[in-house]
Amino acid sequence: MSSAPWRLQRSERIAGYAFIIPITVLFALFVGWPILKAVYLGFTTWSGFGAPHFTGFANYVRMWNDPVAQQAFGTTILYAVVTTVLQTAIPLFIAVLLANVWKGLSTVIRTLLFIPGIVSFVVSGVLWKLIYDPNLGTLNKALKSIGLGSLATNWLANPATALPAIMVVSLWGAIGANMLIYFAGIQGVDPTYYEAAEIDGAGSWQKFRYVTVPSLRVVTAIVLSLNLMNGFKAFDLIFVMTGGGPAHATEVFGTYLYSLAFGSTAGSIPQLGYGSAFSVIVMLLCGVAVLVQVVLSRRAQR
Amino acid sequence: MRARRFPVGRSFAAFLLCAAAALTVFPLIWLVMTSLRKQNTIFNGPIFPTHLTFAAYPKAWESTQFALHFFNSLWITAATVAGVVLFASLAGYAFAKLRFPFKNVLYVLLLATLMMPSTSLIIPLYLQLKNLGLLNTQVGLVILYVSSSAPFAMFLMRAFFETLPDELVQAARVDGAGEFTVFWRVIVPLARPGIATVIIFQFLSTWNEFIYANTVLQDTDRLPLQPVLFSLVGQYTTDWPTLTAGLTMSIVPVVLVYVWMQRQFVAGMTLGAVKS
Repeated sequence: MSSAPWRLQRSERIAGYAFIIPITVLFALFVGWPILKAVYLGFTTWSGFGAPHFTGFANYVRMWNDPVAQQAFGTTILYAVVTTVLQTAIPLFIAVLLANVWKGLSTVIRTLLFIPGIVSFVVSGVLWKLIYDPNLGTLNKALKSIGLGSLATNWLANPATALPAIMVVSLWGAIGANMLIYFAGIQGVDPTYYEAAEIDGAGSWQKFRYVTVPSLRVVTAIVLSLNLMNGFKAFDLIFVMTGGGPAHATEVFGTYLYSLAFGSTAGSIPQLGYGSAFSVIVMLLCGVAVLVQVVLSRRAQR
Repeated sequence: MRARRFPVGRSFAAFLLCAAAALTVFPLIWLVMTSLRKQNTIFNGPIFPTHLTFAAYPKAWESTQFALHFFNSLWITAATVAGVVLFASLAGYAFAKLRFPFKNVLYVLLLATLMMPSTSLIIPLYLQLKNLGLLNTQVGLVILYVSSSAPFAMFLMRAFFETLPDELVQAARVDGAGEFTVFWRVIVPLARPGIATVIIFQFLSTWNEFIYANTVLQDTDRLPLQPVLFSLVGQYTTDWPTLTAGLTMSIVPVVLVYVWMQRQFVAGMTLGAVKS
């Protein structure tokens, strides 16, 4: 009798390790090791041939003085913050409207709003590139046809409009998913809160402001930090639509890093050391976004 | 009658929502309509074509070797989904139901990288595949996909397994089943809804992945669809019907999966977000 529980525990322990071995090995080879390698390479100068040359913090000093890096830093932050604000506020508004209309209509609208979210960044990037096309694009055609032809521009080649144009596409793809999260959150709000508010004479705006918004604090914290992380991660859409141009106007860390290692801006020599230093910074930024999420959701749960 | 819960009147809300939905869907409708256009109406025709033709589809199909890349995408995605589901449910089950030392440390370690952007590790991953002789192979690409997505799937599966009662596992053990048999015969059949969620998510994200595929694979013949679609932009700068026909064909599988499994999809969305 006494040995039975012990034997069970032992087989359970063995099974536990056996079941996590595959994922752990993959993790070690393709996540853990690469992180360490990126940190190491960040302290070196290396073109990929021969041995990396250890240069200490030289890459980080160079980054500090690199005008493109400075611009990319500003653009990454700007892009992350603006998309986060838009993609957190607008879906909330839409979800609130959805909870307010007939059920059948709400289902149809939700399905439609979500479709852009399942399309790849390549497809949405290329599609919007066509829409923004200066000569044949629908946007300029539409502006001309309603007499606003003076606003027509080469949207993605104009440094002033390129980044906002990409943000619109990001928003277009993100509304659906964020709206769904809010919508699920709203379903979970206790209806008696609204009744209580009505008894206290609250109008509709007050109900929204003092019941809906506070009840959705946890959900909002999640949506906000997901968007912030996606903002810091931004790559595909920008890569497809502008490649970081014109004149680095849409360059973010991701695109700059990629072009240093694999692209043409580095000339013919890949700069794997300098590129890796950017990897380290991007990972740190994501760490910040995770911290924001932890702090926000702690506060929201209080 | 006044609106029960929220600030705006029903009809006004419905109006705003319909406008938003129309704006959202417009680019996609435009995409399909452009693919049905006659080539010579691109420059000065109306926004929506008056005469429809399917001529661009066979052209896009042949000139892009669509079938080849479609099947590349299909098998790469299928292999990735299979790997992720298998490894993630094994690990998710172990973390949810089995007791072993260092469990929590290992779990947190695996999850810590969940939020890592794919670009941030692309340099060392490229080097790693090169070291292993897997650069420019679809197998190498699948391995990258599985290892980068398995932690999130594991997280979803663990959340799902935790909803199953512990007594199930204990009862099966008392009946003499080994640990793997318990997992395979008792737990997996009960976990079908969770597995379905993981499958849909993984299908969509792998089908749509672009940057790893574009970086790891160099031979055109081995490429899945996304990098090929990307390269079309330069080749068909003015042949919009062919370009948009290619894009439209590439969306068909994801739309089918979305429509077919919408319910699990929405459930998974909210589960994933709320639990994290």
